[in-house]
Amino acid sequence: MSLTWTLAVRNILRNKRRSFLTILLISMTLAILIFTDGYIKAMTDVMVRSATRLYPGDAQIHNVSYLAERDGEKTITDVDQQINSLMAEPLVASYSLRALDFGMVSSSANNIAVQVVGVDADLEASVSKLKLSMIRGDYLDNAGSELQILLGGPLADLLEVDLGDRLVVSVNNYQSDDIDQRLFRVSGIFEMKSKFFDEGLVFIQLPQAQAMMGIGQGIHEIAFNLTDESLSGVKDLALWSRLATPQTVAEGWTTLMPDLAAILALTGYSLLIIGTILFVVATLGVINAMFMSIYERTYEFGVILAIGTRRTSVFNLILIEGFVLCLLALVLGAALGAGVTLWVGAIGIDYGSMDVSGVALAEILRPELRLLQFTELPFAVLVMTLVACLYPAIHAARIVPAKALHKSL
Amino acid sequence: MTAVIETRGLGRFYGVGDTLVRALNEVDIVIEPGEFTAIVGPSGSGKSTLLQLMGGLDTPDAGQVLLKDKAISSMSGHELSDFRRDHIGFIFQAYNLIPVLNAAENCEYIMLLQGIPAAERKERVYRMLEQVGLAGRETRRPNQLSGGQQQRVAVARAMVSQPDIILADEPTANLDSQTGMDLLDMMHDLNRNEGMTFVFSTHDPKIMERASRLIHIEDGQVLKDERRDAS
Repeated sequence: MSLTWTLAVRNILRNKRRSFLTILLISMTLAILIFTDGYIKAMTDVMVRSATRLYPGDAQIHNVSYLAERDGEKTITDVDQQINSLMAEPLVASYSLRALDFGMVSSSANNIAVQVVGVDADLEASVSKLKLSMIRGDYLDNAGSELQILLGGPLADLLEVDLGDRLVVSVNNYQSDDIDQRLFRVSGIFEMKSKFFDEGLVFIQLPQAQAMMGIGQGIHEIAFNLTDESLSGVKDLALWSRLATPQTVAEGWTTLMPDLAAILALTGYSLLIIGTILFVVATLGVINAMFMSIYERTYEFGVILAIGTRRTSVFNLILIEGFVLCLLALVLGAALGAGVTLWVGAIGIDYGSMDVSGVALAEILRPELRLLQFTELPFAVLVMTLVACLYPAIHAARIVPAKALHKSL
Repeated sequence: MTAVIETRGLGRFYGVGDTLVRALNEVDIVIEPGEFTAIVGPSGSGKSTLLQLMGGLDTPDAGQVLLKDKAISSMSGHELSDFRRDHIGFIFQAYNLIPVLNAAENCEYIMLLQGIPAAERKERVYRMLEQVGLAGRETRRPNQLSGGQQQRVAVARAMVSQPDIILADEPTANLDSQTGMDLLDMMHDLNRNEGMTFVFSTHDPKIMERASRLIHIEDGQVLKDERRDAS
């Protein structure tokens, strides 16, 4: 080890309490960053999953004109061809066929505007969490009664209905251009812990919906999930163009839900903001500690400069001291950060049915570890420490020996 | 013979309020090789300021300092550092050893700066510490040595790099009289046996007696430059 390194290490050991506090400050910065990153990652994942896997799916296929106009006549007609294309894609895990339109659901007590969704019960169960969200009654049965209807608990309360009660659903029939009204009986009540879904959707069997809407065998939406959910956020995924036809378009959730994508992009800045605040605090702490260390040793710096040490060597000495302190802090910080993240990940954070920017956090948040927390974040902390050491190092290098040795030579 | 250090019209001024204090004024001194010179004068007379300027630790406001015929003012920061490292040894009143280094490492430090190979460094350090009477105490840190022993390490540190001149600011001021005299004897021996040039400041009459040259300074000016046979 060179003498500069020896000096640096021994100087660090010289005031163990101050060195420990400095190490603790830097390590806490890294630990908080690791936990924050793990937390934000978990939250964004839960938000995306809540927004996609709860009901909409990772991606959807529509008639090219449907989303822009919300025109119920713009259906997907080549359903079999679309299904064949989907099944040929190894990236596609499951799909669901949906016929949907805005309509009215009426009970003896109330009339409420909702979106009426016709689904194939088995296919829908493989894409959304509708089946898993059932709290009372039964999920749809493809072979069961045509009168089955599912609605959310809050909607049932608003309509003052319960299992077995009668409801009238009204939608526009695009074939006859008349309102089609049919009687249903409440067969099941679900709770997705999302106001939008729980108060705004009712589910009936797909053939009933197609008949009421007068769209023949057509459907409005094919929702599908991918084997790797993280791919669903890729805007230019090749899959989208492979599934598209001249009449249909396939899009991931970032395109279908641009507001959510924007919110998540903002969420990503949270780490930057928290990191910046932490860095400012830690930088000031490191600068303070290094200056205390330098002021205590002003005399020594005067001596070593007087006997021929170059100013650059003094500058390097302070940077090396900061580097060594930081290395020790990174080890401690990584261990602390990993420990806290794993512990909180194990017990989880349950937000109940809380919404974040309109998206329900429908799962327990479990902060997770990932590689960048042990590569990019420690590197950023190291750079921060060295930057924080620059000012003290410049100060030490500019010490005038005659002033430093004022009491002696 | 080329002078080791020469000052020409040297001046150092400080502003105190509206008053200009002339810590040194028009000082002309020539230090020849092998001299054992004491700069004497009362406290505040400018002794330390003169030594600081002679060693290139401070910048004069007037005149110049020539180190081996080269003006300090013409040197860059690095050149001046290297010049001090290679040509000047310093002994400070308060010893000023590096506390985290042991006696041998304190002596070795300056040779590391000079890039001297490890084997030679070790040989010179042990020989010098033996010469100043500290054989067997090489691995002791400053806080494990007495004041006299620390000052001996400081002398060894100043000597070990084989400088042209050693500047010492009241080197015995923090030592008891006997230890101070012993240290001075040792410096005198090194002067006579090794031909090392010493310039030191003092106001102790007993120490002045050992000097071969006395430069009396008062109010920043040289009053008398007295050459004589040292005892």
